[in-house]
Amino acid sequence: MPRNISALIAHILVLAALLTTFGCMSLKRDDSEGQSKFNGELERNVTLRILENDTAKEKGYFKELLDAFNAAYAEYGIVAVDANMDQYTDLEQDGPYGYGPDVLYQANDALMKYTDGKHIQPIPVEQLDCYRQISEEAWNAYTVQVNGENYVFGVPVNIQGPLLYYRKDLLPENWETQWDRDKNGVPDMTEYWTELYAYSKEIREKSNGAKFGYMKSLFDTYFSSGFLFSYGGYVFGQGGTDTSDIGFSAGEARRGAHVLRQLASAMNQDCIDDTVTVNAYSMLGNGTYFATMTTPDVYTLFVDELAKEYMRTQDLSEADAYAKAEENLVAADIPKLPASGDLEDRDGETVDSVMMGGINGYAVSAYTKAPNAALAFVDFATSFEMISRRNELLGVAPARADVAEKVGGLSETINANLEAGHIAVMPSTRAVAQIWTPTQTFFSDLAKDPFRLPDEQKYLSDEALQKGLETVDEQIYSAIHTLN
Amino acid sequence: MREMLQKANGRVTASMLVMGLGQILYKQWAKGLLFLAVQLGYIYYLVTIGARDLFGFFTLGSVESNPWYGIEGDNSVVMLIMGVLAIIVTILYIAIYISNVKDVYATQKRVEAGGRHKRFREELAELLDVKFYKTVLFVPVIGVCVFNILPVVFMILVAFTNYGGEIVPPALVDWVGFENFKKILALGEFAPTFFKILGWNFVWAILSTAINYFGGLSLALLLNKKCVKGKVFWRAFPILAYAIPGFITLLGFKFMFSYGGPINHYITAAGHQAIGFLDLDAKWSARIIGLLVNAWISIPSSMLLATGILSNAEQSQYEAARLDGAGAFQQFRYLTLPFVVFSTTPVLISQFIGNFNNFGIFYFLRGGLYIDGYFLASDTDLLINWLYNLSIDNNYYAIGAAISLIIFIITSAISLVVYVSSPAYRQEETYK
Amino acid sequence: MMKKSDIRLGRAFDTTVTYLLLLLVAFVFFFPCLWLILASFSSSGSIYSFRGFFPSGYSTESFKKLFTDTAMYDYPKWFGNSLFIATMSCIFGTLLTILTAYCMSRFRFKSRKALMKTTLVLGMFPSFMGMTAVYLLMTQFNFINNHWGLILIYTAGAPLGYMVQKGFFDSIPSSIDEAARLDGATNFQVFCKIHLPLSMPMIVYTALTSFTWPWSDYILPKLLLKTKDTWTVAVGLMSLGETEFSRFAAGSIFIAVPIVILYLFLAKHLISGNVAGAVKE
Repeated sequence: MPRNISALIAHILVLAALLTTFGCMSLKRDDSEGQSKFNGELERNVTLRILENDTAKEKGYFKELLDAFNAAYAEYGIVAVDANMDQYTDLEQDGPYGYGPDVLYQANDALMKYTDGKHIQPIPVEQLDCYRQISEEAWNAYTVQVNGENYVFGVPVNIQGPLLYYRKDLLPENWETQWDRDKNGVPDMTEYWTELYAYSKEIREKSNGAKFGYMKSLFDTYFSSGFLFSYGGYVFGQGGTDTSDIGFSAGEARRGAHVLRQLASAMNQDCIDDTVTVNAYSMLGNGTYFATMTTPDVYTLFVDELAKEYMRTQDLSEADAYAKAEENLVAADIPKLPASGDLEDRDGETVDSVMMGGINGYAVSAYTKAPNAALAFVDFATSFEMISRRNELLGVAPARADVAEKVGGLSETINANLEAGHIAVMPSTRAVAQIWTPTQTFFSDLAKDPFRLPDEQKYLSDEALQKGLETVDEQIYSAIHTLN
Repeated sequence: MREMLQKANGRVTASMLVMGLGQILYKQWAKGLLFLAVQLGYIYYLVTIGARDLFGFFTLGSVESNPWYGIEGDNSVVMLIMGVLAIIVTILYIAIYISNVKDVYATQKRVEAGGRHKRFREELAELLDVKFYKTVLFVPVIGVCVFNILPVVFMILVAFTNYGGEIVPPALVDWVGFENFKKILALGEFAPTFFKILGWNFVWAILSTAINYFGGLSLALLLNKKCVKGKVFWRAFPILAYAIPGFITLLGFKFMFSYGGPINHYITAAGHQAIGFLDLDAKWSARIIGLLVNAWISIPSSMLLATGILSNAEQSQYEAARLDGAGAFQQFRYLTLPFVVFSTTPVLISQFIGNFNNFGIFYFLRGGLYIDGYFLASDTDLLINWLYNLSIDNNYYAIGAAISLIIFIITSAISLVVYVSSPAYRQEETYK
Repeated sequence: MMKKSDIRLGRAFDTTVTYLLLLLVAFVFFFPCLWLILASFSSSGSIYSFRGFFPSGYSTESFKKLFTDTAMYDYPKWFGNSLFIATMSCIFGTLLTILTAYCMSRFRFKSRKALMKTTLVLGMFPSFMGMTAVYLLMTQFNFINNHWGLILIYTAGAPLGYMVQKGFFDSIPSSIDEAARLDGATNFQVFCKIHLPLSMPMIVYTALTSFTWPWSDYILPKLLLKTKDTWTVAVGLMSLGETEFSRFAAGSIFIAVPIVILYLFLAKHLISGNVAGAVKE
């Protein structure tokens, strides 16, 4: 018996010895300080995997960009290829295990989420060609303070802010006399929400509820929260960094909520869910809606639908139909709001609209094997030529001032809006993920209110609106902090 | 055990020291070498990664990585999971070790009793006969251990760490004991929402299981009727529904019931006001639509199942019943139903579990709402949806894991009791 | 006593009711599919350019686009990927499930009841909570962007659903086995020669379900397949833009095709099992 037990013990001992030796060996690590990655020396014979957005691929811009870059850097053997991944792919999930792209093009809130885990590399932006051409506001969206020092993590490419889309050919014939009180040659209903509201009601009445003026899915926080911001609301305090201060009910935000409720009353129930978001393209095309609000990058989708409609109804050739569609489809700046927060108040003071926006840009993955080549790619892709081309093919509002100036029009307006603070850039913190559900719930509740039976309507008084907004703030606070 | 330790001879001792050595001394070459290979394999595993992984399980890492400077540190979560894997491998090794010793002792006894040791070929033959179940179950058990038990163990362990929120890799995760459970219990809003959702969750699971089960069974019986010609054709319609992936169906139904959808199109065309079937005021209509849509999705598969099982019912009994003058209903009540219930109780339980944890249905039909009176949840959310809001959406993995552990304990206790007292478990031999 | 004509009348009535019910069932199940089919022939991409259930214009454009316009959405490739993953998972999964069920039903061994309870309890765990673990595991085994990684997971998970098949085997009288055992057959032979042919309907059911699961699963492939050329149909379809609804519908219709074909192919086995005849009394 002792012989057996000692054999057993010997067996265990050998394994335990192996275990401790190799286990302890693994604890000793080489934690030597790393080096800064951008030393200016281009890595040779490397392949860069670039993540671009789907529209850029669809419209052929991305291929042009890759071809141009590969031709320019052929001598170094640097090849940029399509990362061929989902445009919303999460670097936090893929990067650490080696499956992420080297360079990413995403929205600023998506990109800045990666800075917590150091998944994207701080970029020496002063070295870039575009540095001076991009406004401070745009850079701010990509700047984070780490240990008292400012780091920039991305290069702004285009500014995403909502625009008002409307059909010029659906304006009333007499607009110049009846709907241009300020005599500036621009129809008032595209300048003032009060006028747009009045015109919407008129259209709906005249058509017996078959046609509408302004239509939008109101539950969509991205477009509806701007109405709160215009009257003093905000997402997080301290310039979007203090997540314990949530400001959807701050200032006179309830006036914005009142405006939204009034707008809903001039629509139909399609504004409660995402019906309008998806059908706006064809409904604007066939003339059911006069106007809607959305981002600049979908301009071509509206044009497509409108041109199809013209081809179907007016027997035009494809080229003519497209020309006519582009002529009649106007994307304009967001109208001004009444200071009183009452859309019936057509003669009172007005305030500028502040809308939620974002800035899309490039960032370099911290896991790339070739940071210098990646930086060269970012520099190349944000050069004057490439950004101009991007604007031509995709119709987006460039963040580069020189390109915006060259193309003029809306791109310039959007740039000016950003600088004037009329675009509230989404805060660059992870906690932004918590604002969507509470706000969407509130906005759809608000949108539904005018369609409830009179005695079931909830948001008739200022107090009720204020309370609703405060509930939103509380819910967001709970989601961010109670479990932390 | 004791007896073995006392009576074992030198060859058994040899196998205790080095696996397979005893077998080799008995000239069971193939088997001995296989055991030896297991031991060498385990040692190789320890030396390369096993030892590191086992240690990592306790430390969860000490060096934070910093991708900015290319410092590759420890990834706590990976260390946790690889640690669990190392423990599973070690348990497996111990099991093989024990069977190695037992095996050589069995040979010793056989030889002492005057027999001879078994040949390798004979043992292989045994694996196809008496020990057939061992051969067969080996692969599934390993697979289930790695891909099903391991994740569950991982999540249970996560409930005792601070993983989540700001603390995700590259930040280092630590063991925190019962901290998360304390946090949940201290949270005032938690309990009311939990019980409200739990109540609805049970109502949902019971109703939907009953609807799907009896729906599927009646459909199968209907299609099994003698008078039905072209069974393959008729059965193809539910199959078509079955063939379209659930998430597509759900998106389709969501659209149908939306304000701009076809149903409201006809309602407004008839001059009525559009109905918000799934909007935020629609508590019960959304719940009922959920039940019906779930039935549409699940009835085809329970029909398939019932058809398969019915084909096994003994026709002779029905002949006898018919001769005794039993009507169609009596045949169903006394022959079909007991038979089907017997062979499907386990299915009923697993369907119940599936429905209890049915994440997709309300996520797709009515996601993205927080209703008053619920803590970060809506009135159609099931526990699993709530869990998703709390953990994945909000990134609080540890809290989510703690909550799911609580839910898991409650639900599995209930279903175990039901299962153990079911006829399918207690009287397995009824029809044999 | 009923008259003969009464019986005939009753039977005719019964048949009529049966067929009416069948028509109703067919309608209920076919209607949403019909709508999807109509949508796939819609000339406009948007989901809302419909008049009620009917699109405002028809064309076969979306089907053409589905198979030819592959620069952004490579549907044929995704279809092939799905087919490969589902077929492999179906073959291995069915094999393991049937064998497991057979063992659990026919053998009595020490850890059996414990195993049965464990498998039951395992299903209660919220599956997405384990997704992180599966993902981490697969990164460690280098199974990301690899179809075999998915096949491994589906195959490993399949035997957990053995309960249905075990219930079926439980209902096959053991007198059949004993007769064969007396004739000197081993358990392996009993399984192959007797149980397999008898359990054809159950095998068909198992094959269908273990094909359908990977075929229509969205979460796992989304988690494990990063590059677009490795995607499955489900992941690919979900990535379609909002103005691509008719293409989405066309893609959804084609998803259903392999399962329907599989069903038609296997249909005759679904109802052919006949235990009664196999019992030697």
